[in-house]
Amino acid sequence: MTNMNEAAPSFAATAQTGKPDNSQFPTKMTVRDLNFHYGDFHALKNIAMDIPEKKVTAIIGPSGCGKSTLLRIFNRIYAIYPKLVATGEIVLDGENILDAKYSLNRLRSKVGMVFQKPVPFPMTIFENVAYGIRHHEKLSRADMESRVEQALRSAALWDEVKDKLKQSALGLSGGQQQRLCIARGIALKPEVLLLDEPTSALDPIATSRIEQLVEELKNDYTIVIVTHNMQQAARCSDLTAFMYMGELVEFDRTEKIFTKPNKKQTEDYITGRFG
Amino acid sequence: MASSHIYAKRRIKNIVAMVLSVAATAIGLIFLAWILWETLSQGIAAIKPQLFTKITAYREEGGLANAMVGSLILNTLGILIATPIGVMAGTWLSEYSLRSRLGPIIRFLNDILLSAPSIVLGLFAYTIIVLPMKWATNGDITFSGFAGGIALALIALPVIVRTTDEMLRLVPSTLREAALSLGVPQWKLTVQILIRSARSGIVTGVLLALARISGETAPLLFTAFGNNFMTFNPLDKMPSLPQVIYEYTKDPSPDINTLAWAGAFVLTMFVLLLSLTARFAFSRSKVSHD
Repeated sequence: MTNMNEAAPSFAATAQTGKPDNSQFPTKMTVRDLNFHYGDFHALKNIAMDIPEKKVTAIIGPSGCGKSTLLRIFNRIYAIYPKLVATGEIVLDGENILDAKYSLNRLRSKVGMVFQKPVPFPMTIFENVAYGIRHHEKLSRADMESRVEQALRSAALWDEVKDKLKQSALGLSGGQQQRLCIARGIALKPEVLLLDEPTSALDPIATSRIEQLVEELKNDYTIVIVTHNMQQAARCSDLTAFMYMGELVEFDRTEKIFTKPNKKQTEDYITGRFG
Repeated sequence: MASSHIYAKRRIKNIVAMVLSVAATAIGLIFLAWILWETLSQGIAAIKPQLFTKITAYREEGGLANAMVGSLILNTLGILIATPIGVMAGTWLSEYSLRSRLGPIIRFLNDILLSAPSIVLGLFAYTIIVLPMKWATNGDITFSGFAGGIALALIALPVIVRTTDEMLRLVPSTLREAALSLGVPQWKLTVQILIRSARSGIVTGVLLALARISGETAPLLFTAFGNNFMTFNPLDKMPSLPQVIYEYTKDPSPDINTLAWAGAFVLTMFVLLLSLTARFAFSRSKVSHD
């Protein structure tokens, strides 16, 4: 908290908007003083936000505003590349996940991620889902089968693939592949699910299936979704964060952001005057 | 009207470029056909069963069986030594050298090794394998198939390192991120997903390396040395097809020259078939991954 006060003058706006009118929601992830550098480039500036449990939080903003970067810090996937440095705090269940001592293995079993383009592994449909589970848990064959089925059902894919589990996942359509990736992510029973523009490579029908799925998944998971599509944020999120040039401009309940935002910048973006 | 002028100009440029490319392709193909024709027509008299059954010790009445077996053993040794090292080194370059200053240096050195004259690599194998073995065994083992295999491995190695590195770097980074985001450790990701995705490209690289070493003569002169008898012992002096061709073309006897041509035809066909196999394997994998 002392950190926050020290940094307060430079990010008065984010400090204020980091605590939106969502105090009735319990917080799952607390972000404080988060800064991100890519070489000399200061990509994220003093981000502070409270991500509520079992709600859908959307992050919107123009290209290059840092929304994907922010998401990629939540499971530290950025750490596979050199020269990327995140400082500050992201507290998940009482522990700072940016602490070097926090096991990446554990973090990634708690925080799952689905990417922009569907990336099935070059294996069968069944193996795609079982692959991650096998690394974290030792399950009997029967348990594994029921676990895979459960994951595919939650991802609304089971009926379409139940007769071809032994076939290569590369033969599925784009929308099916993306739902397979969601199944793969939730098969690990994570607590948080990160979705990085999950529908930008999909057609409208596949998109609406994924959006329905997000609606259902929030009963069990805390979801953070990055999207280019403002209608999507409006349709399927409970809270929306608007980012611009590496700063969190405004973070509030979705209907507030889309009807009477506090900041002029947010309003301009929402109404399509820039970005 | 101005635009139709531009189109006409473009059409002419297009035709010129097409003609030049077709001509260039034709020149390449003509020489290939010519080589095949020449080796076949000159060696046809010697292409009969005894070419594959009899050994070089019988000279004109013999065949090239021992040279073919020797080549097979030498190439197999070379590939067996170079493949694991090459694939692992290529994997390190592509997947693990990201944060290391050593990566670009090793890549550069590998490119130098790739273009090193093969006779130098043969001399190197002579110095580090043949001579020490001679001292260690009091002259019982000097030149050997094993030393030849090492020399060939040194030629195959940089080819395999480079193709493995390049094929792995073609695997989209999203696949790495997807696997790592499941908490899968780097080594599992590399072995179970990345190498699997790049498998056909890596196999193609190994086949091309095999095609490359199967025609090498110079590095075998001071290592495998040659032998007129059939041998399966890698510690023995070992004959090879390119070396027999080399010696037989210098021979005054026309029948021996014909045998050299026949050997050249067999070798060319072998390399051609290998390259076609590599091509086929690669293009088929492209289809199945799309």
